[in-house]
Amino acid sequence: MSDDRERRKAERAERREKERASTTNDRREEESNQEENKLVGEIDELKITFNMTIDKLAKDIKRQDKIMSRADKRQRKEYDELQDRLVEVTALQESQKKLMDSFIELIAGAIDAKSKYTGGHCIRVPELSMMLVKEASNSDEEPFKEFKLESEDELRELNIASLLHDCGKVTTPEYIVDKATKLETIYNRIHEVRTRFEVIHRDLTIEALEKKLAGEDVSTVDAWLEVEHKKLVEEYEILAIANVGGEYMKDESKEKIREIASRTWVRNFDDTLGLAHEEKQRVLLEKSETPAVEQLLSDKKRHIIEREYFDYEEYERFGFKTKVPENLYDLGELTNICISAGTLTYEDRFKIQEHVVMSIKMLEQLPFPENLKNVPLYAGSHHETLIGTGYPRQLSAEDMSIPARVMAIADVFEALTASDRPYKEPKTLSASVKILSFMAKDKHLDPDLFKLFLSSGIYKEYAKDRLKPEQIDEVDISQYL
Amino acid sequence: MENLNFEATKYTPEIKLDATSGIISLVGKSYPENTFEFYKPMMEWLENYFEENAQDVTTVNMEIIYFNSSSSKLFFDFFDLLDEAKDDNTIKINWIYDEENESAEEAGEDFVEDFEDLDIELVTK
Ligand SMILES: [Fe+2]
Ligand SMILES: [Fe+2]
Repeated sequence: MSDDRERRKAERAERREKERASTTNDRREEESNQEENKLVGEIDELKITFNMTIDKLAKDIKRQDKIMSRADKRQRKEYDELQDRLVEVTALQESQKKLMDSFIELIAGAIDAKSKYTGGHCIRVPELSMMLVKEASNSDEEPFKEFKLESEDELRELNIASLLHDCGKVTTPEYIVDKATKLETIYNRIHEVRTRFEVIHRDLTIEALEKKLAGEDVSTVDAWLEVEHKKLVEEYEILAIANVGGEYMKDESKEKIREIASRTWVRNFDDTLGLAHEEKQRVLLEKSETPAVEQLLSDKKRHIIEREYFDYEEYERFGFKTKVPENLYDLGELTNICISAGTLTYEDRFKIQEHVVMSIKMLEQLPFPENLKNVPLYAGSHHETLIGTGYPRQLSAEDMSIPARVMAIADVFEALTASDRPYKEPKTLSASVKILSFMAKDKHLDPDLFKLFLSSGIYKEYAKDRLKPEQIDEVDISQYL
Repeated sequence: MENLNFEATKYTPEIKLDATSGIISLVGKSYPENTFEFYKPMMEWLENYFEENAQDVTTVNMEIIYFNSSSSKLFFDFFDLLDEAKDDNTIKINWIYDEENESAEEAGEDFVEDFEDLDIELVTK
């Protein structure tokens, strides 16, 4: 009996269990179906998004491709254009450089052509400075070991400076540049003509007197006249020699000149006639009634030409130190004939020196590019020394770069050896080197560059090119090295 | 809505966004250092404009002479934005270029090809 119960119980339990299991299964199945549907939905959605993304990506890639290939094409085109432009610009630059160089040479040639005093100076100085600066750059010896020209531009800079160093001379009056004798000036020949009238005037008087005095002792008069004439001729010779300014004039000579100058003559003609306004104003500064007793030579107010305008402030701003004379010119006859050395007065000398002032002012006005910015400096220091005695800035050694020192030597050597100047006999090579050596000893020129100039043989090379055969003699350079 | 103006620089175009007249213009070169940063204010302004401030007719005048690749990428985005806005707005686009400027012409043709539904006109100067 209990076995039966037990079995039924077990059967019920099993049935229940089965039932439970079957409901759970149904539910599970249902749930699983639902999930499946949801998943499919999501997958579909994902698929759509995915496709859209892929589409967008594909489109983007296509776009990106297009953008890049277009950009490459554009870049290549721009590159080609740039290359073409570069070629054009380079050619233009080259032709402009040529034009500029020709202009510079034209100016240098014009300065040379303007005055026979300078001859071929501006064209020849660059030859010398180029030779010497290259030598200094190549030298491995002190003090040039550190000095190296880095580029063509640096060479060009000094070449241009050398060509233009005297460009200020275009502003120097020719009669000062070419003033070959002490009494030389721009001259109104009315004075000469008037003097001849004076002579004829006297001759007429003398003739009348001679007729009147017909009865006097002839030999006594002749002897006297001979002495007087001889004295006059001698005095004229002294004056004439002094006028050339060949040698230094001592104080005794000046005294003698003053004595000669004190001779008098009587002027019967009005010396204010035939003059232009400016000169007339000056002549009227002195009384002019006739007859007047005049000195043979004199310093008069009319001989002073006043400085009308001078910008001292600008002069200082540029760093120019050379003293400016109060007057522009002094044409005084005595003053000029008594010039101690050379033919130039204090005022004339300043006018001559002013050419560097003008060179500097002119060159500093030019917009030189960065690689040529030293042109005004090099050109402007060709008359400076190493000890502050030069002009116009009175520079010293520390202000003088090697190219500037090179220019100074080239300038002097060309001037010394030139054979195309009418006012002087050409010097021999040895005499020129000797003068150069004095200047180097006095630190007016750089002693090391002077030695390099000799030891390198540049002096000889230049002489062969530019000096006359009769100027070239043997130079014993060992005494200078 | 405020108008937005950018002056041209060496590397960026002049940009004039005028909400009152509905005229949008870009003129010049486009080589910004950071293109997306540079055009961000313009893009934001445009979104804002089309959302609620658009005029009946919006005219876009583009005269871009030279441009880098990130700029052309940005211009595609710009046209995408216009493409989205075109259903609710009337948009007229003028792509202006110099006859000699082949690159600008080609870029214009690319935009026409990619955005068939936009009213883009290529205008030579
Ligand atoms: Fe000079
Ligand atoms: Fe000189």
